[in-house]
Order: sequence, then structure tokens, then C-alpha cells
Amino acid sequence: MAENTQGMAEFVAQLRERLAVVRQGGSESARRKHTDRDKLLARDRIDALLDPGSPFLELSALAAYGMYGSDGEEYAVPSASIVTGIGRIAGRLCMVVANDATVKGGTYYPITVKKHLRAQEIARQNTLPCLYLVDSGGAFLPMQDDVFPDKEHFGRIFFNQANMSAEGIPQLAAVMGSCTAGGAYVPAMSDESVIVKEQGTIFLGGPPLVKAATGEVVTAEDLGGGDVHARKSGVVDHLADDDAHALAILRSIVQTLPAQPERPTVPIEEPHLSPESLYDVVPTDTRTPYDVREVISRIVDGSRFHEFKKLYGETLVTGFATIWGHRVGIVANNGILFSESALKGAHFIELCNQRKTPIIFLQNISGFMVGREYENNGIARDGAKLVTAVACTVVPKFTVVIGGSFGAGNYGMCGRAYDPRFLWMWPNARISVMGGEQAASVLATVRRDGIEARGETWSVEDEEAFKAPVRNQYERQGSAYYSTARLWDDGIIDPADTRRVLGMGLEIAALAPIPEPSYGIFRM
Amino acid sequence: MKTLLIANRGEIAVRVMRSARALGIRTVAIHTELDASAPHTLAADQAVEVGSYLDIDAVVAAAVASGADAIHPGYGFLSERAAFARAVEVAGIKLVGPSSTVMDRMGRKDAAREVAVAAGVPVVPSWSLDAPADTLSYPVLVKAAAGGGGKGMRIVRAAGELDEALAAAAREAAHAFGDDTLLIEKYVESGRHVEVQVLADAHGNVVHLFERDCSTQRRHQKVLEEAPAPTITEEVRTAVTSAAVALTAQVGYENAGTVEFLLDNASNEAYFLEMNTRLQVEHPVTELAVAIHGEHPDLVALQLAVASGEPLGFTQGDVELVGHAIEARVYAEDSFGGFLPQAGRASRVRWPESGHVRVDAALESGQVVSTAYDPMLGKVIASGSDRESARLALLDALDDTAILGLTTNVGFLRALVATEEFRDATIDTAWLDSATIEAPDDAIARISVAWVSAMLDSMGPPHPFGPDGWRSGGDPAPYVVQLDEPVRVDRIRGRVDDHDVREVFAEDHVLVLMVDGLRQQAVVNVQPHLLEAVHRGQRFVFERPDPFADAVGAAGDGSVPAPMPGTVLAVDVAVGDEVVEGQRLGVIEAMKMELVLKAPHAGTVAEVGAGVGDQVQLRQLLFLVEQSLVEQSAVEASHG
Repeated sequence: MAENTQGMAEFVAQLRERLAVVRQGGSESARRKHTDRDKLLARDRIDALLDPGSPFLELSALAAYGMYGSDGEEYAVPSASIVTGIGRIAGRLCMVVANDATVKGGTYYPITVKKHLRAQEIARQNTLPCLYLVDSGGAFLPMQDDVFPDKEHFGRIFFNQANMSAEGIPQLAAVMGSCTAGGAYVPAMSDESVIVKEQGTIFLGGPPLVKAATGEVVTAEDLGGGDVHARKSGVVDHLADDDAHALAILRSIVQTLPAQPERPTVPIEEPHLSPESLYDVVPTDTRTPYDVREVISRIVDGSRFHEFKKLYGETLVTGFATIWGHRVGIVANNGILFSESALKGAHFIELCNQRKTPIIFLQNISGFMVGREYENNGIARDGAKLVTAVACTVVPKFTVVIGGSFGAGNYGMCGRAYDPRFLWMWPNARISVMGGEQAASVLATVRRDGIEARGETWSVEDEEAFKAPVRNQYERQGSAYYSTARLWDDGIIDPADTRRVLGMGLEIAALAPIPEPSYGIFRM
Repeated sequence: MKTLLIANRGEIAVRVMRSARALGIRTVAIHTELDASAPHTLAADQAVEVGSYLDIDAVVAAAVASGADAIHPGYGFLSERAAFARAVEVAGIKLVGPSSTVMDRMGRKDAAREVAVAAGVPVVPSWSLDAPADTLSYPVLVKAAAGGGGKGMRIVRAAGELDEALAAAAREAAHAFGDDTLLIEKYVESGRHVEVQVLADAHGNVVHLFERDCSTQRRHQKVLEEAPAPTITEEVRTAVTSAAVALTAQVGYENAGTVEFLLDNASNEAYFLEMNTRLQVEHPVTELAVAIHGEHPDLVALQLAVASGEPLGFTQGDVELVGHAIEARVYAEDSFGGFLPQAGRASRVRWPESGHVRVDAALESGQVVSTAYDPMLGKVIASGSDRESARLALLDALDDTAILGLTTNVGFLRALVATEEFRDATIDTAWLDSATIEAPDDAIARISVAWVSAMLDSMGPPHPFGPDGWRSGGDPAPYVVQLDEPVRVDRIRGRVDDHDVREVFAEDHVLVLMVDGLRQQAVVNVQPHLLEAVHRGQRFVFERPDPFADAVGAAGDGSVPAPMPGTVLAVDVAVGDEVVEGQRLGVIEAMKMELVLKAPHAGTVAEVGAGVGDQVQLRQLLFLVEQSLVEQSAVEASHG
């Protein structure tokens, strides 16, 4: 299977290359300007904030990839000018949200807002303390209509801060650069805050606006510098000498938070098959079938899988296993979904829900079976049972798109709309309402019917010319990079890291209690 | 001899007990309240508390009460006090040492000098105190007759300085010894300290056990001692050893003693200095360098035998030099920090163990070292067939010595033994007072504590958020240990900052690393806030930075504003006044409270913002204290 290796290795190499580019942050000159002012770069701030050697589960590092520049400017806004993710600070798992001032001054594009809100959503679901490293010019003004006014726009950041604080989820901020206008509420709405002297500034209106509004001429430092806010206004609680000092103070604050619940230590058995060997067994073309158990056995502890209903509804594989010692249920596609596989999936999800066992969805699905026989036998009814079970289950869900994610299969297999705690994609994954070829055919058929109804003819060449752009559009929009740029997922991962990130996700999800199960009406 | 009381503490008490026990003699320790659980107290068969080790009556009473038939005085304390010897004799107890009469004669430098002259022993040319200043050949040394330890000593280089030096030395001597008698001798510009170990029994046998060289001294305190002397000719050796034997016989000495000589490097002549009527601190180097009937002697056992009235049982011809030994004295002091004495709990003590190394010590893990007694913690003695092999063995032994919890001079000793000057024996007794011993580099210690810190962190159970620096689709983040500077540790790839590091051994606080190809050993103790490592004997302490330790603006700008709106009741200072930190500047009354306003730091009052009776507003400036320039720069330096 040398071909497989080649294919996946290339996908992974491309992923690493793109991640390496965005992790540099802004342009070289912007970075130099930043560091010349004795400021640390966003990711260096995070490294210094985390415990020594702490892993960092960065979220959507490739957000905004290819979105805001013209052709050839895929990296116009690296990581959407904000770095978010989860790591250990003073032993506690925390959500870190850090503006990258080397990217467009750390301003908020629409996707920046979405990424910030997604980080807060994850923090809230999993009760993670939030640490905001603020260094941002506020909203990206040219796109203010997509940033400012709507429900899931800028204002939601502070709504979330207030409500998380109300729920006892600590909100901490360090102001390490500008923190203007609406942004000023990030430290102000925080439980405890730090500012870096002669670097951090907080004001609702900056010196130019003040001059325009009232004629008062004032320096940024006198208007809202560290000294002002630490000694006079009380907007911040701690004054730091520099970035490193501010981060050390934040760490010290986290030390004062209540400890997170500790799980009993259990011996952990690595899979007997190396995660890297996934490259060998998984075809990168989503149309090539293979046995998904090859993937499961490389993810779960000891490669041990307690399979449920192995002989029934064989196109969906279900069963129990442990990952890094966490009990999990696994639901994995092994072909197209039929009524039996949908029923089996719904049954299994009910089991997990009763047993408060988190569920992992390994998604590689072209959809539910179509055709008269299946429709007449009520595949929509059985599909609805699966979707109901997925939607209503109260246990933490994790979705990894390891191949295709098409049509209603996306719903039944816990797509983004079904609130998985985390959703990751493999770099070879594809996502769209249907395949490009099918979409082109459907559209062509509709068009041909119209043309022929008018008594005209449509040549094969013309049809092909009609279908090509549709195929191209689906090809482009179905890519994992198109998805991750728009926050349809929490990031593209190296398949070899699947076990690791699932373990991280399970650790994070274990922090929040699981409520009692209840369901909507299952269509019988 | 059935029961021996040891009138001492520390390593020498423990060492005497070891020999006594081997001979089947019961041992009695004396101890103060502070030493109730000290090693020497616990090592004895019986222990009696005394108020002080210097209280003659109490010590003799302890001996009587415990039924001791002999007392070993060790060194220091009462060991050379004739009054003590007399009290012991009066009590009918045998003192392991010479008689009080001999002590009296040899204890005074002037009397001892007369004995030496009578025995035909060369003495340093001297002058009468009445001799006119211009008849002396300078430089001369003025010293106290009763003295020791450098007190009451003055070097005089010109006639004009003599009177003043005599007066000062007399004052010092009177203060230190209660006796202002002085001597004037030729001052030897460059000399080595050579001393001869003698033994005499009650049957008229007098032998020497060759000589020791103790030239490595700091302010007249011996630091390194060795046997035999490395620089003398056979001729000089014969001269000093036979002179020592003659002197011992002349004075009717009994038991072990030491005759000290000053070897003038210019003339190669040895002059008698004094006789020590006791066992010396450095006696082990003689025990290791000499053989009698082919075996290393036990000087304490010989002392006890002589005290019991037994003959020595060997003659001079049976005594031979069989090797070389060097001793290093371990002190609780910060040698690279002004030699300040150190105290504290020795959290972890590791003495070297090797066939070529002997350790005489009384310091164990967990023991508290106080400044109440001599700061010597023990002695590390190494031997070999020749001087260089002994020196190398001592280097290894000091590398292997680790005392954590308090700072010692082991690192200094190690550096000293490694110097070219000591290696080549080119030094004189004044050398160490002016030599610069480079402070050891802390790099290996820093690498070691960082390594252990990372290692301890990785010892937890496997965890997806375990400390491996994992990053999605990228290189792992470095493991950074925050010390006085950040240290990047990569244990997997074997890197610490820019060094190649491989772990060889890590167990029980001992870490052995290959750093850039060189084997390095450190004893490490990593605590949450404090990280310690001993490398090459030197203790290094690292603190994890505390973001709240160095609060911003703590130094302040010296302004004292009104803490509340109120009325000024008192103004104590005026512009230009010098104030000290915390000094009251004034008082205001507010909300029925009287608030005292204090100077935030020492300095000069630069402004007074209100007078008595004035109503002041919140934060109105009342006083401004400007820091003096010196203090300001000190503050900046401590922050920098």
C-alpha cells in the first residue's frame, strides 16, 4: 500500500508547512517592530504563560486561510490574527486567547470574532478558566458590518465573559498592548487583570477620538496607560514590568484558583499498532473503501475494541474502548448508511448516554442510501432516529472527519451543527452537501430537463462546459482548508495525532459534569 | 583505663571515641543543651550535660560523676589550658596529654623559646623589648607571648612604626588573652609552616612521626595540611625532626605533641615557633603517610596507651614514611561571599567514599549547624603513594562531597587544591591571604537543577497534557525552567540550552551527566521554590522567580500624600531635613483617627505640602522625601 503512504504523507507535509507559515504570525517587519518594543510574539507569550513543557491544543490555527487576500495571498491574515487554545497553567487546564498584534494590528476580522467566540464556547462547555492576552486595535473597521452588530459578533465576547464569570469560570486578562474601544471591556469585564507598564493601554476612545470629540490633547499613556489604570482608575489589578512579568503574574493568579478535579490514575496501554502506520492503511481518496477498524485499532488503548452489534448494520461500526484511560463509545462509518446501520447507531448512542460515556464519531460518509426501496422502507424515519439520538445525547461528543462528510451523513455522524465538544479534520477530508460530480450531474439534469422542455437540444460538449465550474467549485469548497478557514472545525490534524488530540479533548471534557439524559420523540 | 571522658565535641570527639571503643574503653561525652542530639553525644556510651565546654569544674565533675578514669581533651577548648590539666590531676583522673607543668612551660611562647634554646633548637632571631628601635633589622614581627591565631601580631617594616605596633599589639593581647607580654622576632617574608609530630611515653622513649606542612593558611588559620612536607630537603627534614625530638626530651614531655617550625624560603633555615601540647586537627595526614611496623598508626590509640603508662613499643627505626596525605578542612562559611560564617540545617550531607579517602566528620543529614561553635564541620583526607596522586584523590573526594542546606567552603577547597600554586607547592604561608581563587562557574549546577526539574515533572503517569511540549503538526515547545535565567531543557534530544547533555545516572539526589562530552556530577535538591545543587563541592542556590517578590514601584517616588481628607495635627520635619526610613514626618487627623505619616525611605525632605491645622484633600502631597544618591543607586543595582 505504498501509494497510501505517499498520499497521506504528502497531505501531512503540506499541513505542517502551512501551519509553520501561520505560526510565524505577521510579516517579518511587523514582527521585528513588535519585538523591538520588547514585546513577546503571541505564541511566545503563550509558551511563557504555560507550565514548562505543557502541550498546547491550538484551535483553528489555519483560520482565515485564503479568505481575505486576493489569489496567492492565502496568508493575508495568519490564524485570523488571534491564537486560541488549551494548555496547562499552574497545573490547571485553561483556555488562552491571545491577539496577534503583528497581524493587522491584532484587529478583529469576522473570522477573528468567530474564533474568539468559539474559544469562549469551548471554555464554557468544559469550565476552562479563560486567559485573554490582549493586544488588539479592536474591530477591523472596513468590515465593521460583519464584526460589530449581530448576535454572534463582537459584543458577544463580553456577554460570554459576564456569563462565564457568573458560572464560576474565571476570566483573567493581561493587557500587553492596545485595548481600545469595545476591547477595553475585555480587562474591565475580567475577574482579575494585569497590565504591562508603558505597553498596555486601555481606553474607550483613543487620543485621536478624544481630540475630535472634546478637543482635549492627551497622550495614550496619560489617557489609559498602566500606571493610570493600576493606581487611579482601578481598571486593572496588577502592574507588570514587562510581558514576562505580566505572564508570571497571570500564572500566579491561576495558582490561586481552586484546583480542577483529578481523575484517578489508571495504567495506560498504548495501541499495539503505531498511529503513524495510519498513513499506510488509509486511502486518501475518499471514494476508496477500507475497513475503519484499521483506524480504531490505532487510536484506542491496547488496540482493544469491544464491538457492539458487529454482525448487524455492518456499514456502521460501534463499540466501546478506552482512550488514555477514558471510557469511550466509538461510532465509525464503514460504508454508506442504511436503515439498519442508522438504528444500530441510535441504539448505541442511547447506551453511551445511559452510561455517561463520551462518544467519538469517526466520520467518513457519503450519505444515506437513496432509491425507491430505501425511501419506501422509511430510511428517512430511521435516519431521523439517529439524528435525534446524536442531537439529544448529553455526553461529550468528539468528531473526527477522517474522509468524506457529505449530506445528511454529516448530521447523523455529529457534524458541526450537533455540538461536538471538538471537531477535527484530517487533511485529506472532504466536506460538502454532496460530491462535486453528483452536484454537477443534478444541476445538469435539471437544466437539460428545462432545455428539452422548450424543445431545444443540449450538446454533450455544452453540458460538460456547464458541469466543469460546478465541479471546480465543489472541489475548492470541499477542501479541509476551506472548512478550517471558516471555523467549520477546530483544526486540521495529522492523522497520527488523532489519539493524542482525542485524549486531550477527553481530559478537557471530563472537567464538566455530565447532566441527566433525556430525548426528543423518536419517530417509530 | 576503663572509662574515658572526651572533653570536646564535633568530629574530634567522635574520632577519639572510635579509637577508644576499638580498645574496649567505655566512652563518656559531654554536651551542652544545644548539642543534646549532636553526633558526638549520640556516639558515646554515656553523655553528661554541661553548661559550657570551657567550664573546667563542670567537666571535671562530669568525669567524676561518670566514673571516668581518664579525660581526652581533643583540640581547642580546654586542651592546652594548664589550669584544666591541674584540675584533672587534682581530681585523680589521668589527662591524655602532658602534665600541667609541661603545659605551663610550652604554652607560653617566651618560655617555650627558652626551652628550645636550651635544647639547641634553632629559634627565630629576636630582640629584647628594650632594644632601641634602630638596632633591629627589619622587618620584624611583634607578637603576644600568650597568643595564637594571629591576635596581637604586627609586622613592622621600619623603625618609626615600632612603638605604635607594640602599643596596638599589647592592647589586643591584653584583650584577647589577658596578658600583654610581647615578643619581637625577625619577620620571615616568605616561609612555610612545617611541624613535627612527636610522641613520648612515661619511660623516656621519644620518637617523631615525621613532619607535616600546613602552609596553606588564611589569616593564620590552616586550610590544607599535608604529610610529609613537599619542599624540604632530607637535610632539613633531619634537622627539624631531630630538633623536635630533642626539645620534647628536654622538656620532659609525655604523650603526643607537635613542634612547629617556620621554614624561611630565602635561607632554607627552619626556626622553632612553638609546641602544641595536644593532638592536632591535622593529625590524620601523619597517620596516613607514616607506617610503624608496616601499619598506619592510630595516634589516639597511642595517646591512650601512653596515658595508661604503657611504653610506646617501637623505636624511631620502626617509623617510616610510606606515602603522602593531604587534608582539607570543611567549614560552614561562604568562602566566595567574604568568608562569612554560615548556619542552618544541613538538609543533605554526602561525604566521599573511596579507598584513598578518609573523612573525620560529625555532620549528618538533617543536622542543624549553629554559629555557637567552631564552624569546622569535618575534614576530608586523601592519601596516595606520592603527593600528586594524593592531590588528585583529594580533588575527587571534594568533588564527591556535598552539603546541601547551608553553604560550606568545599567548593573553595576544591578550587584551591586545583591551583597550579598548590599543585607545584610554590606557595608560602602568606599566599592565600592575597591570592584570588576564582569562584566556580555555576553553569553545571544550573544545568543540573534544570535537568532534574524537568525529569521530576516527567515522572507523572502518562497524560495527553503531559509535559512533552506537544504542538499540533509542529515541533514541540522547549521545556523551559525558570531560574535566575530561563533554561531550555530537551531531555529527549539531550540538549540544555546550547549544551549536549546525556544522563548517565540519576538516583537519590545524585545526578551524573555528560555535558559536552565531560562527565559532571552534582547533588541536587529540587524544591517548589528553591533549587540547590552542589557541583565540585560548591553549593549553588537558585530561586524560581516570584512575580510578586519585586513589586513594581516598591521603591516609590518618595511622595507622601494624604491618605484621607483631614486636618494636619503635626509636622515634624522641614525642607532639607535628613530622615531615615520609617521616621515620623507628621500626623493628620481624619475620620476620628490619627494617622502617622512616615518616610517611605531614607533621604532628604524636599517638600512640605501643608502646615499644622491645614485642611488637606485626599492624595494632596504632604511630604516629598528625595532618596540620597547612594541609596538610589543601591536600589537600582539590586533591581538590575
